[in-house]
Amino acid sequence: MHVYIYDDYLNKGKYNRKINRLEIRLTDLGLNGKIIRLGAIKNIKGAIQNEIKNGAKTIIAVGNNQTVNKIIGSIIDTDVYGDFQKKTLLGIVPIGEDNSIATSFGIKNADEACNILLARRIEKIDLGLANNFYFLNNASISGQGTVINMSEYTIETTSKGEIDIINLLSESNSHRFANPHDGKLDVYIKTRGGDGTHFTANNFVINNPNGELLVDGVVAVKTPVKISVARDKVNVIVGKDRSFE
Amino acid sequence: MFNKENNLEKFKDAETVIGSSIKVKGNFQGQGNIVIEGSVEGSLKTAANLYVGNQAVVVANIDAKDAVINGEVRGNIKTKNYLAIGKTAKITGDLNYGEISIEKGASINGQLLMLSEDHKKSEKNKEERLLKESTKGASI
Repeated sequence: MHVYIYDDYLNKGKYNRKINRLEIRLTDLGLNGKIIRLGAIKNIKGAIQNEIKNGAKTIIAVGNNQTVNKIIGSIIDTDVYGDFQKKTLLGIVPIGEDNSIATSFGIKNADEACNILLARRIEKIDLGLANNFYFLNNASISGQGTVINMSEYTIETTSKGEIDIINLLSESNSHRFANPHDGKLDVYIKTRGGDGTHFTANNFVINNPNGELLVDGVVAVKTPVKISVARDKVNVIVGKDRSFE
Repeated sequence: MFNKENNLEKFKDAETVIGSSIKVKGNFQGQGNIVIEGSVEGSLKTAANLYVGNQAVVVANIDAKDAVINGEVRGNIKTKNYLAIGKTAKITGDLNYGEISIEKGASINGQLLMLSEDHKKSEKNKEERLLKESTKGASI
């Protein structure tokens, strides 16, 4: 059974046409299923967990990065996670702005998402973990004043810039690489006027007394933050044009 | 990795790149190629190749397979194979190497010591033994 989780912002009138078109297309392809509208329910976690307990084969996030994060946050580290990992796939139908996670998986728009759901190309994906917050794409923080503490050494920046900790690239980039299968995160530091810095790591602490770590562009986490990788955590339906091999 | 004709060039497939406005403190270790353009204090070790850029300041003992030094190093440098020293290099420390090249203009304040054939052989044997052990481990 397919379960479509519609984010609450899709209740706005401007998305009606897109939603109607999506539902017609899904029915045509025989992919129609149960629809849960997040705006109409209070216990989001409970609703998603119930669907997994009831044997949902695919949970599909209809919305944006926040929708995907809400679903992942409702499942990982809960009683239903074992069932989810064995039996359930995660699909994404991007609608509106802020859809870098879908782009990483090679899903550019809702029409393409329908074909990708039909093709069911599956990849096991690592998740980054920042304290208790999981992330698919990246976590970022201002470079100046930030200290990255590895077990044997520390890394700090001496000028303004940005630090990106990447699990999965949001779009293809010839200067950056990240592999969500390798059990490592790629850390890129870009400073003003300076050349780039790059290294890989899977366990470190990041600290900046004046800054917060922004996880997947959505959640701000106060430092110090312990960063690690959770391996092969989610089975995702992906497109051919995904940003990784 | 090191083409003898352009052996002072930075390699492109570095696993780790430390940029010019980055400071590393502690025992910095890697398995892959490392490029240093910033500053390092402590120790610096890699099983592969190391490139130290002309603006880099390394206050550390260095241990690498091959190394190219164009910047300032205060510490001993040990390379199993090839050590290339560029004209902008300023080194205060002893050098241990399999082979060496030094460009005119480089400054070295320390002892130069070529690794003995016996040492090279024992290093090679050690590498082969480690490789065998890892292959054995993988097949179990």
